[in-house]
Order: sequence, then C-alpha cells, then structure tokens
Amino acid sequence: MTQEISAPENIDGRLRQDQITETVITARRANDPQKILDLIPYSSFIGAQARVESESVLYWLERRASNIGNPSLPAIHGGVIGGFLELSAAIEVLYVLDVSVVPKVVDFSLDYLRPGRYKTIYANCTVLRQGKKLVNVSATAWQDDLARPIATARCHFLLP
Amino acid sequence: MGFNLKLAMFKPALKFAMERSGHGAALGFKLTRVGRGEVEMTFPYKEEVIGNPITGVVHGGVIVSLLDTCCGCAAITVLDRRAITPTMDLRLDYMHPAEPKKPIFVSAKVYRNTANVIFCRGSAWQDDEDNPIAHCVATFMKVDAEDMRFSDILRRRVNRLFGSISKPSKEVLEEPK
Repeated sequence: MTQEISAPENIDGRLRQDQITETVITARRANDPQKILDLIPYSSFIGAQARVESESVLYWLERRASNIGNPSLPAIHGGVIGGFLELSAAIEVLYVLDVSVVPKVVDFSLDYLRPGRYKTIYANCTVLRQGKKLVNVSATAWQDDLARPIATARCHFLLP
Repeated sequence: MGFNLKLAMFKPALKFAMERSGHGAALGFKLTRVGRGEVEMTFPYKEEVIGNPITGVVHGGVIVSLLDTCCGCAAITVLDRRAITPTMDLRLDYMHPAEPKKPIFVSAKVYRNTANVIFCRGSAWQDDEDNPIAHCVATFMKVDAEDMRFSDILRRRVNRLFGSISKPSKEVLEEPK
C-alpha cells in the first residue's frame, strides 16, 4: 500500500504499520490468529495462544509459574486473567473485523467469578457492537467447563 | 498517625509476597509505600510486555495487573481479622496511552471498608499524577480465613498431586441426605 515510500529501517526493533497490516491479512487468509498474537510481545510474556475452532477463535493460556498471583493456593494472578482477556479482545478485533491497526482500549471492566486455578485458562470473545468509532467486545474465561466461567470482561476499543 | 507495630511488620511481608514470587516477580514492580488503606508501587519499563509493537507502549494488561495488585494490597491493609480478599470486579478507564521507556507509578486507596466488601480506587501515571494513564475502581470481598478449612486446603493439594481421587468436603456433606 505504501510501497512508493522506501521502507525505513525499523528503529529499536519496532514494527511498522505496513508490517502489521501484512501479518493481519496473512493471518486471516491462513486461518491462523496465532500469527497476530506473535506480533505482540506481551502475549509471549504471559504465554497466550490462539487457534480457530468451530468457526470462532479460541484463546488459551497454559499454566506458567510466572503467572501465579497467590502462591499458597496456587491461583493465577487476577491481573493476568484481565490482561489475557484484554489481549484476546484486541486480537478478536484485529482478526474478525476489517481493522488492521492495533485498537486503542478505552475502558475495560472485569468481573471475577471464580478463582483461576493453576491450569490452562480458555477464553472466547464476541464483538457485540461495531460502530464507526467504537467497538464493544465481551470476553469470557473458563477452565474446566464453559458453563462455569472464571471471569467475564467487557471492553471498549476506539478505532482510528 | 502513631507508630503501628503490626503494620510495620506487615510491610516487609507484603513486599516479599508481592515482589518475589509469581507474576509480581515476572513483572518486576516495587512496592514503594504501604500505609493503612494506601499503597504505592513503581513499575520500570520492560521490553517484554510491549502491547503495541509500533510504538513500544506497554500492554493494557500490565496496567490491569499493576492496578489489581495495588488495590488488592491496599484492601489487605484495612483487614482487622484473618481473612482473604479476592477481587470481585475491576473497572479501568484508559485516559491516554503510556509513553514507552518511562516508569509507571501506581497508587491505590481504600475509600470505603464495609463488613463484607472493600471499595478501592487506583490510578497509574508517569509524569504527572493529575494526568493519569488509567484510573480504576475495584471491589474486594472479605472472606474469613476460618471459612477456609484446613482439610479443604489439604484435600486440594492431594487432588493436585494425585488427580481427583477425593471429593471436596461440600459434596461429602451432602451425600447422607
């Protein structure tokens, strides 16, 4: 798209918008949302992964010692659950909607329903509304049973 | 405010629990102030937690973790009995994006402490405390430590080690009916 401008070298290992756009388009074509996750360093910091399952995206977070919040239970850190759901919601916007700019989060609301045990957390997201400027995404996290969620989140993103 | 021995001993314990294990150690924040109902933290910038690969701004999830931890710590400081304080809900408003390569300061305050629920608010800023990156409100449940029976904790540990061979006590109690 911006081929006429000679691509400048990446400063500080940062990516350029055209690289992100390209990856997002490749990921949609290949049915592989993991490619978008790989762009974001925070996703590998917490260990978030994604794949397409029965036409929607399933996100999961394998258990990892660095995600523990309460070592005596042990339970996953509430902030990690929040961060994971916010990340999943952002990836959902990039993957499902026709958006290739990393969306700006405006507000984020999280209800903790059950403690996050020290095992894999799954999440799925639903875009409830897409306007010209605003997107509302809801995200649910569970461990053993989808009907017994451990947390639900609601997130507003501002589109450029 | 006079000297409070309990609080004075509590601070290093809380610092140790938060900074040296699990996600706190991975993030690398520091508790800079622990008072009754008021906690402050500092988070140095880290490349590993970037959320926007173009600008290098940290991911919102980091701010969630920081504010959740900070509010949670503030909630613990107002307890007057042995209890744990799981988060009920957390709501964050992002006012403006964080700037890369700058530390983030976080503060949290308990503004209401009732019999069962603790209400906190927190904010995260970089240069100017009056111009925060994010603001949050969080509520915490007070769950008496006595409610968590030792046998349940033990059973949970056994389950984790050997798989689910024993049932939780609630179900055992209901069986005779």
